[in-house]
Amino acid sequence: MAMRQTPLTCSGHTRPVVDLAFSGITPYGYFLISACKDGKPMLRQGDTGDWIGTFLGHKGAVWGATLNKEATKAATAAADFTAKVWDAVTGDELLSLAHKHIVKSVNFTQDSGYLLTGGQDKILRIYDLCKPDADPQEISGHTSAIKKALWCNEDKQILSAADDKTVRLWDRASMEVVKTLQFDTSVSSMEYIPDGEILIITYGKTVAFYNALGLDLIKTVDAPAPINSASLHPDKDFFVAGGDDFKLYKYDYNTKEELESYKGHFGPVHCVRFSPDGELYASGSEDGTLRLWQTAVGKTYGLWKCVLPEELVSENSDTLYGSTPEIKA
Amino acid sequence: IRTPVCVLRMPRGPDGSSRGFDPTSERYLALCPTTISSSDSAVDSATFVEEQKARTVLRERYIRSLLAMVKKDVHFTMYERVKVNAVFGASDIDILNFQVSDLQTPLGVQKEALIRCPDIISYSFSIDAGLKD
Repeated sequence: MAMRQTPLTCSGHTRPVVDLAFSGITPYGYFLISACKDGKPMLRQGDTGDWIGTFLGHKGAVWGATLNKEATKAATAAADFTAKVWDAVTGDELLSLAHKHIVKSVNFTQDSGYLLTGGQDKILRIYDLCKPDADPQEISGHTSAIKKALWCNEDKQILSAADDKTVRLWDRASMEVVKTLQFDTSVSSMEYIPDGEILIITYGKTVAFYNALGLDLIKTVDAPAPINSASLHPDKDFFVAGGDDFKLYKYDYNTKEELESYKGHFGPVHCVRFSPDGELYASGSEDGTLRLWQTAVGKTYGLWKCVLPEELVSENSDTLYGSTPEIKA
Repeated sequence: IRTPVCVLRMPRGPDGSSRGFDPTSERYLALCPTTISSSDSAVDSATFVEEQKARTVLRERYIRSLLAMVKKDVHFTMYERVKVNAVFGASDIDILNFQVSDLQTPLGVQKEALIRCPDIISYSFSIDAGLKD
């Protein structure tokens, strides 16, 4: 029986959600952090979307947010010219790293020992989290604001995307650029999958897949509308994309076929990410909400329940909701 | 017509009254222990008995310290750079709240007050000090 996707809406933010990230799978499940222009990044339980806490401290819009694998630390990048590191269990602010301009992106190394930041001042910075008072290492080269900076190749290299329409691969030890990809238009997002070393870059209406080690192009897929973010399923069979037409698109990665598209958001989709187990994907939008979508529609998982037709009319189905009541943020 | 997938409930949102990070959640208790949990009784019985003896001594000493504090002036160092003095009255059984009198605050002296123990970082008093009635 074909089922219709019921997205789960996570409210709480009061302004556009511009970035989101999942942790790895921990003994307590997996977690999701959302960056919002209201300056208050939130931590949620990854499989249900239940709010766990809000990181309070930034004095401006938060443009980037990330969690370490174990979900014990969080990092955020904000318009108040700081990147902050947080204890993701207690919600306490651990470090505030002053920058000279708006910070857009933050990323932990695998061991959470170093933090990479990038932003409007065009410089990549590497902070040793064991020596927070020490000056960070700086890598210059980009000629415009950095949008996204990520560790790759077991933290031996760095990938950065900037408004100068380039994506650059840097060697961490030498701090030199290894390869540069030049685009005709600004890159809207970048996602890196360590397992398989795949890089996903979105620009215009295109979702492009590269090998992260040499920046060789694997394939490109064109969507019906300008795309702001895309994410590849851990099993590399699907990818999802969202953009300016408010919709989420699901594609077969191998055949490039568009499989499904979903309406739901009331504004452009800024970010979309698969959960670490691939069972759901989360999207953040200009409308101030996060939505969780099932990869296998109709499967029992998290708050979604597979219900057989007989159960729908039984007296025991009081707690089941057939359609999502709209909850305004 | 496709049937929409059923959901058990909507995701819970912020509670509006706090910033969250529930200190009673399983994850918080496991990763931020506020007490040192005792060893599994599966550990060898001699070690277990010795540990229990040590815990008993420490517990009794602590309870006696609370008794020694009654009617004495105590200095509390708390979060948010708060340092206050007050006369100690009593503790509740879970050591979650201290009942104090004449709490000296920047806003004036609070005749009777309850101080939440999780808000206290440390406290000190002089054993030899005179009693404040």
